Amino acid sequence: MPYLAVKAIALIALMLLLVVGTALYVMVARGVFEPTQQLVLVTEDSEGVVTGMDLSFAGFPIGRVRRTELGAEGNVRILVDVPRRDAHWLRTTSVFTLVRSLVGSTALRAYSGVLTDPPLPDGAVRPVLRGDATAELPQVVSAAKELLTNLVTMTAAGSPLNESLATVQGVAKRLEGPGGALGVLLGNDAERQRIFTTLDRANALLARLDALAGKADAQVFGASGVMPEARATVVELRGLLVDARASLKRVDAVLQDAQVVSANAKNATADLGTLRAEVDTSLRKVEALIDQVNRKWPFARDTEVKLP
Amino acid sequence: MVVLAGPTPQRLATLIARRIASWWQVTLFGGALLVLALSPSTYTRRRRPALARHLVLDTGPNLAWFTLLSALISLVLIRIVVVTAFSYGLSQFAVQMVVRVLVLELIPTTGALFVALRCTIPRGAELAEWRLVRHRSGALAEARGADAVREEVVPRAVAGIFAVWTLVAVSGVVALVVAYLVVYGFALGGLAAYTRTVGQVFEPDVSTIFVLKTLFLSLAVGVIPMAWAWGGPPTRHSAAGRELQVLVRLFVVILLIEVASLMGSYYG
Repeated sequence: MPYLAVKAIALIALMLLLVVGTALYVMVARGVFEPTQQLVLVTEDSEGVVTGMDLSFAGFPIGRVRRTELGAEGNVRILVDVPRRDAHWLRTTSVFTLVRSLVGSTALRAYSGVLTDPPLPDGAVRPVLRGDATAELPQVVSAAKELLTNLVTMTAAGSPLNESLATVQGVAKRLEGPGGALGVLLGNDAERQRIFTTLDRANALLARLDALAGKADAQVFGASGVMPEARATVVELRGLLVDARASLKRVDAVLQDAQVVSANAKNATADLGTLRAEVDTSLRKVEALIDQVNRKWPFARDTEVKLP
Repeated sequence: MVVLAGPTPQRLATLIARRIASWWQVTLFGGALLVLALSPSTYTRRRRPALARHLVLDTGPNLAWFTLLSALISLVLIRIVVVTAFSYGLSQFAVQMVVRVLVLELIPTTGALFVALRCTIPRGAELAEWRLVRHRSGALAEARGADAVREEVVPRAVAGIFAVWTLVAVSGVVALVVAYLVVYGFALGGLAAYTRTVGQVFEPDVSTIFVLKTLFLSLAVGVIPMAWAWGGPPTRHSAAGRELQVLVRLFVVILLIEVASLMGSYYG
């Protein structure tokens, strides 16, 4: 084979190799040979969502938007292809967000809090939480404006904050001065001087109280103090109590005798009752006898009432 | 003014009609060239050496130069795009932009222009000269005309088409490799992310448009100079004038293809 033909064949082979290789590389890059499972994300607005954009998890792309379509209820269905090898990052409790940034493209993100939950099944339908940075921009600008107005008012000359700061500065200067914190608290030097005088006098009083306490100690706890005498008195009292206890015992015996006497008196009283009953009976008999005598007696009165 | 106003539109109409006729003639001849290029009889054992010679002569010397040149330009452009994107905090779009601008848009067009300027237009001028000589001498009969097309014109056109494909493929791969090296350096860690980004750029419709654009560019570059040289009306222009004329026409066609591909890619 001529040298020229070999070169031509080599060139043709190189071209075919590059074209086929590039085509295969692009197909691999687009995940043509990768088994995938489908995930359907439902949202209200598909703005910013384009075919081919990534679904990312922790910053890593784990899925690719294959198509967006309008659902039967007017919502948007985003069909995402998730490669099987990455599908384990998506769980039944995963949350999906669609965030539009101020600059750049929209981002579709997945968050899986609990990775021990059951994995997301094929063809699962999940809602998407929308976070639109531009939608909140007017509110943010309005709030910022208000904040700035307040800040300007606060920092303006003659504002309460400025005056307060000036006062604080004056106080700080006075704190550093000879009067210190006491001068700041009391306001003038005369008052401060009075406080010092009071403190001196209190110190003197304390010294005197100390001396007084020493003397009282000697009076109370000294050799001829109150306490030793009190102790002797207590000893005497104890003797007296012993005597009193003996006297009480004697009184107890007397009382027992009295109790016996009273029991005897009680019995005597019971005999008197019987006697009285007998006397009563005798008296009734006598009374009955007298009645009989009276009826039989000629001077008996005519007690009957005769009717005409 | 009034005197001149009469014949001018007529002359203009004649000129336009002549232009359209010549373009139509060239288009018909180009179609015939393509049919011949696709027919197996062109590639018989007898004709293969001429074809191989044209393939090697048109592609071989240009391949190294164009690859080197495109690698250098790619390096500079990629560096500019990447640094700019990083400075604006848009680094995630740098790779996409580089692949889109370089591989999809710039490389096919520059490859086609390079092949046109270095190979097919000079080859077309050769053909035209040869045809003129033949016409003057009347040495070759009409019966051998078809064989002459098959033996002289078709190999040159096929070589031009092949050169465009080879240059675009090689420099595209080189640009992809250079882009990876500029963005990620000599580390394999970014390969997965890079592959994914390339996959995002090469969507099915974009890839189809890219392939179609390269195909039409290569056909234009391979066929138009030969068709004008062999199938176009005879001209009194000098060789340099003919080359310039063909270049302008080719440039218009390349521009039209480019505009169509841009409309397909970005207005779809």
